[in-house]
Amino acid sequence: MTLLRARGLTAGYGPVTVLQGIDVEVNEGEIVVVLGANGAGKTTTMRAISGTIPRQGSIEFEGRNIQKASTDAIVRAGIVQVPQGRGTFPELTVADNLLAGAYVRRDGAKAVEDDISKWYSVFPRLEERALQRAGSLSGGEQQMLAIARALMSRPKLLLCDEPSMGLAPLITRELFKVIGGLNREEGLSVLLVEQNANLAMQIASRVYLLETGVIVASGTAAELSADDSIRKAYLGF
Amino acid sequence: MELFLQRLVDGFSEGSVYALIALGLVIIYRGTGHLNFAQGEMALFSTYVVYQFGEWGIPIGIAVVMGMAVGFALGAVTEVAIVRPISKKSPFAVFIVTIGLFQLLNWLDGAIWGGQQLPNSGVGSKQVRFPSLFPSKPTDFVTIFGANIKIQSLGVIALVAVLTVGLFAIFNHTRLGLAMRAVAANGDSAKLVGIRTGRVLMVSWGFAAAIGALGGVVFAGINTNVNLGLMFTVFIYASAAATLGGFDSPGGAVIGGFSIGLIQNMAAGYAPKWVGQEMKVGVAFLVLLGVLLFRPSGLFGSSRVERV
Repeated sequence: MTLLRARGLTAGYGPVTVLQGIDVEVNEGEIVVVLGANGAGKTTTMRAISGTIPRQGSIEFEGRNIQKASTDAIVRAGIVQVPQGRGTFPELTVADNLLAGAYVRRDGAKAVEDDISKWYSVFPRLEERALQRAGSLSGGEQQMLAIARALMSRPKLLLCDEPSMGLAPLITRELFKVIGGLNREEGLSVLLVEQNANLAMQIASRVYLLETGVIVASGTAAELSADDSIRKAYLGF
Repeated sequence: MELFLQRLVDGFSEGSVYALIALGLVIIYRGTGHLNFAQGEMALFSTYVVYQFGEWGIPIGIAVVMGMAVGFALGAVTEVAIVRPISKKSPFAVFIVTIGLFQLLNWLDGAIWGGQQLPNSGVGSKQVRFPSLFPSKPTDFVTIFGANIKIQSLGVIALVAVLTVGLFAIFNHTRLGLAMRAVAANGDSAKLVGIRTGRVLMVSWGFAAAIGALGGVVFAGINTNVNLGLMFTVFIYASAAATLGGFDSPGGAVIGGFSIGLIQNMAAGYAPKWVGQEMKVGVAFLVLLGVLLFRPSGLFGSSRVERV
């Protein structure tokens, strides 16, 4: 079933149009990866879907048009974005960051507490640092916190903006393993943008290739890595 | 000993007023990064409103609560109608606009309550008697260790203490408080967890103005009257208190307010020839300068460290 369907998505900043009308779809249970170089419009795609910048075109989520919806309404609908550069609340403790992630939930303190313990078991480092300020965490820990915070809202679709940015390769691999695991075990649907093509392709159900605001290719990971020119440009072998 | 105790309590009760105005400054600064130059004048407007309610025969206790509600509305409307649209264009312009608001409110107070009056001079402004929240007849004092302590002073200190504890409870243990802290820490991310940041900022300005209103009422009560210049110096002390406390720390604002009040009263009391009433402001600022030399972010301010 189609979870997210964007048609002719156009967005930018003031007079600059970055996305030139792209079509993106995410089906339930998929990890969809958008690959692209710097300036291709990856982050803009994320922002357009999460409603943090104005956008044109149609965006349907579970059949409902959310093109005009505000960011908080989109979060309530079940799409939550992990922003680029983590975007944690640096002055708040790790525990409060997670609590803030559950802001839109109305199912009571007990359920929220249970979820916090659950993400602590997935990310044990966060539990060790529960009462530390988020700003004092390392880059990798902050990225884990950002993802756990996003998941605290129990989203149907997780938007991940370059989770590998600024992280050591080992930690990036760990992170992708966790995202892949959440997808398999919890059925979490993910839309992920990356420059790190190799790793992202390994967990991707489908891949879009974005170049200067236009989607130039799409298909399964296997299909795209079979294409010589794409392999050379994005996978480097 | 008696003198010391008296000066201590006087310092604390004066400091309470600075603390209340400083709290408002800090709440707004944390939320939006703006220095609200009109904080004192917003408080004065609400104080005049309380005076007006009193004139209409409403008991002071109820009038204060109503005045705080008016203050809340004034703050909320200011954020939505003035600060928000302008800060989208230029954050610096907001500062200028709050200075304009300072003038406008003072002029408005003068037009309604103060008779004709040069704006901002305060001198010769029509004074109206203002009731105290607490018993304030000359006989209303308690004797502690031989010192005659005014019940009013004790009441004011207790009020600020209760309010501070209440605010901390709201900040640290409620959904609204969590939202306010999240918006203060990272507005963009606050949106991404589903917080209606606009509403939070509106409420923050409302809170700040309501607390300010209480500060104005308390100060007018201590002063026994209200005039157009009432909040000028208070605002300057409150800014100093907020700076001393670290501008982004509500606890720091309260401690900063008490400190400034104490330092002034102690210096004026113990060095009447050197400092006296005229120079006590100077002493407070010297201490402030000293603290900032060694701790540029204030006593409790967070110097932002970000790891990437």
